Amino acid sequence: MRAHSTLTRRLLASTVPVALLLGLGANPGLADPMIGTNINGYGIPGAIDTPSAEMLPDATLGATLNYSDLSRKNALVFQILPRLTVALRYARFDSRPNGNSETRDHIWDRSFDLRFQFLDEDPDGWMPAMAVGLQDFMGTGFYSAEYLVATKTINPRLRVSAGLGWGRLAQDGGLGSPFGDRPGPDTEEGGKPNVDQWFKGEVAPFISATWQANEKLALTAEYSNDIYACETGIAEECPRGVWLSDKDELKNNINLSASYQLGENYQVSGYLLGGNHVGLQFSVAMNSSQAPYPSGIEKAPAPVRPRVAPSADPDGWSGAWSADPTAQPAIQKVLSDALDKEGQTLESMSLSANRAEVRIRNRRYMQGSQAIGRTARLMTRALPPSVETLVITTSEDGLPTSSVTLRRADVERLENSEASQIANVAVISDADPRPGDLTYTDGLFPRFRWALKPYLSTSIFDPDEPFRYEVGAEAVAEYEFVPGLVLAGTVRQRVLGTTKQEAPGNLTVEEYEDMDTDYDENGVPRVRSDSRMYAGNSSPTIPRLTLSWYAKPTETVYTRVTTGLIERAYGGVSTEVLWWPTNSNLAIGAELNRVKKRDFRDVFGFRDYEVTTGHLSAYYTFGYGIRGQLDVGQYLAGDKGATITVEREFANGWRVGAWASKTDLSDEEFGEGSFDKGVSISIPLGWGTGEPSLRRVGGDIRSLSRDGGSKLRVEERLYDKVRDSQAGKLYQGWGRFWR
Amino acid sequence: MTGTKMRFMLGGALIAMLGACGNVDSEEGSIPGLLAEAARQSVAQRGRAEAEVVAKADPGQMAATALRVNKGPLIMVGLERAGTTQVLAMTGENGGQRTYMTENEQALILRDGMLAGTRGLGHDLSVAEMAQSSALIRSGRSGQANRTMRYWTGDGLERPLKLECSIGPGPKPGVMIEDCKNGPLEIQNSYISQGGRVTVSRQWIGPDLGYATIQELRP
Repeated sequence: MRAHSTLTRRLLASTVPVALLLGLGANPGLADPMIGTNINGYGIPGAIDTPSAEMLPDATLGATLNYSDLSRKNALVFQILPRLTVALRYARFDSRPNGNSETRDHIWDRSFDLRFQFLDEDPDGWMPAMAVGLQDFMGTGFYSAEYLVATKTINPRLRVSAGLGWGRLAQDGGLGSPFGDRPGPDTEEGGKPNVDQWFKGEVAPFISATWQANEKLALTAEYSNDIYACETGIAEECPRGVWLSDKDELKNNINLSASYQLGENYQVSGYLLGGNHVGLQFSVAMNSSQAPYPSGIEKAPAPVRPRVAPSADPDGWSGAWSADPTAQPAIQKVLSDALDKEGQTLESMSLSANRAEVRIRNRRYMQGSQAIGRTARLMTRALPPSVETLVITTSEDGLPTSSVTLRRADVERLENSEASQIANVAVISDADPRPGDLTYTDGLFPRFRWALKPYLSTSIFDPDEPFRYEVGAEAVAEYEFVPGLVLAGTVRQRVLGTTKQEAPGNLTVEEYEDMDTDYDENGVPRVRSDSRMYAGNSSPTIPRLTLSWYAKPTETVYTRVTTGLIERAYGGVSTEVLWWPTNSNLAIGAELNRVKKRDFRDVFGFRDYEVTTGHLSAYYTFGYGIRGQLDVGQYLAGDKGATITVEREFANGWRVGAWASKTDLSDEEFGEGSFDKGVSISIPLGWGTGEPSLRRVGGDIRSLSRDGGSKLRVEERLYDKVRDSQAGKLYQGWGRFWR
Repeated sequence: MTGTKMRFMLGGALIAMLGACGNVDSEEGSIPGLLAEAARQSVAQRGRAEAEVVAKADPGQMAATALRVNKGPLIMVGLERAGTTQVLAMTGENGGQRTYMTENEQALILRDGMLAGTRGLGHDLSVAEMAQSSALIRSGRSGQANRTMRYWTGDGLERPLKLECSIGPGPKPGVMIEDCKNGPLEIQNSYISQGGRVTVSRQWIGPDLGYATIQELRP
């Protein structure tokens, strides 16, 4: 929403680096590949109902609310790779009462889209950008369609898209079925990719044009063969009878819209479907590179203090000072105070005539390299001149992960130069788990931390009530006896909210309690499907109370033991081991837990269900910040299977991922959704505020709380605890070393 | 300011009433929080606009006070776009590179009076590689030079902006002009040198911060 100066605006047509500097990736015609600015009703670039071959700038996160009397569509979109767009939608459509819901006359349904741009536009030639897309490609499939589309910039103000569509995009004007008939929608448990339907059935053309009237206003017209057959009661073109509604039929296949850009982030549009239905749309988009304060507004680091000539400080240079037993405590105190001021804790230190190692806990900086760069500069200010080797080891709450070794002369020589220069001379290695000469900083342990604060917990996607919340007060306390041995707990008191205690299925709370069972009608243990039984408690609850012990037995192996009330629904013992050499792309872990289900109301009570659950996990970091994870093992319901997770993490700390679990429970035993899956988004708070912070906002959007493929929710699993200070992540964010 | 923003994000009157206390920060987040993040952006922008409307003190008086209180090297810096003028004191010197800081620890880094970096301004210049320009300007010679300005970008990286510059005397005697270009981007820096270093100048920091005027108060 900032008003750009004339200069900045003139830069819009400049080279890519300039554009990125200015955070103007969202402007048309700039970045590679072809970028779209007009958002369609499905929340991705396009016309109104039809798609285009355009992408959003890499790492753009957007949301769209689209409302007409034919539909309500709310979508989240993310540009996960420069040429791959994903969208998650939550839409409401009318439905006749049926077997699944006798009471509702509408359905709130989730759906996913993918679009891949396989060919970019040749701006000088005739070649258009081309993309292939899957719309609502799994589960219910109310909006299911597939398409192949080409988009061409005719002139700087006019873009035209044309393509072929299947499914919903071919309800009218079909040209025939090149790949055979389209089978009916999945009417069973849903939740699976509808591979058998893709590109099947009638195919029909669509075309659209968007004219940029001025900087803010764009006008769009399209010819679409999506005629809203179900919504307007055209039974022969509607895949399922229960989806039929009785709105007025569209008068023609032409849709028109006008959209207005509000600042950099918002877009409002109004549209007319088929000449007789009007709608409104609101979109917001933010790009990961459009931070309000890209460099952060934290204070400047203390500069390097170069050493004086040996003749000016012969004692300091000779190293004779190291024989004085009072030297290290004095230096450690000074360094500890200085580090504390810059948001870091000096956990321990070793010091000899020519080498110093510090173990620091970074409490403030999202990029570990920034913490290390600041520590290196403070070391040049605090250490006598004979100390030439600086070793900075990151301690993740007592777990020493990686050590960065620097020559002091390099720090002096390269201060405030391009970050890659210091990267070339820094050495990152596995931290020695137990060097003999470390001295803990005085007065650090035992360490007690606490907080009393409000909390807000939300649940979304409930078909009856899409948004529920609870607000209350929460006390969090943590007592660290020695580094790595932590007693931690949370107590919550609800004040108000709309969440309430509910039993699974159509049972009332009393009926479910009277049944006194932990199994459903198929004999599957209810490990998550009764999770609402824990909700709506008006007395104090203890979501977590654990004693954890983190250790590093060898240079590359980390261990964890957690015992107590591990999560809201389970208590017991959780153990984990992780092998991860700091410079390795591969990490391997194993987890074994024995847990018992907690009582719904009695904070220290347990129910009868008890289970052993655990996994073998492999983690691999590919290029581009992409990480894959495979877990194989036994889940909470005793079902055996595997989980695949794919995540992209950007240098600024944004994380976007998706996971899916499939176990030996059948689709029927699992129930609606067929298997567990979801997406997660996490954004560093500091990215939005400019204030440096390790805090994040975001969360998981998962399928319904079912019992299959469910894992124990242990806080601070080893991989998450150590990942930010392993070599790969340090190098990814290395550009902040001198910030 | 930050407190106001937090509450704005959470958006609940009740939460606003319940103040948080303790000695540990929460690391939790939520989807609504995430959706509110976009709104935060504009709030943050608004915050900046407010911060910029700082009452201006008389620069002459400011300089005099600073010279009296501080015995070390001082510079006076005006940020044209923000409309602020501040005195910065030298806090470090390393191999010809001097770090000057304001009282609230925002920094400018200079090499022989040439701008080499900024810290803590939100759109910082990480480093300016301008040795060629510097040599010509400080010796009063005309010529061509390449300079690279590096910035921290919102995507978490350090990115270069390469500029082609031509250097020559300006219309006023004693003033050297550096004209730099990259495509449609054109900037102009001007310098007055004395004893081999730049003492008065107007230099471009970057696209968001614009120009700074830098004057040496005490070498």
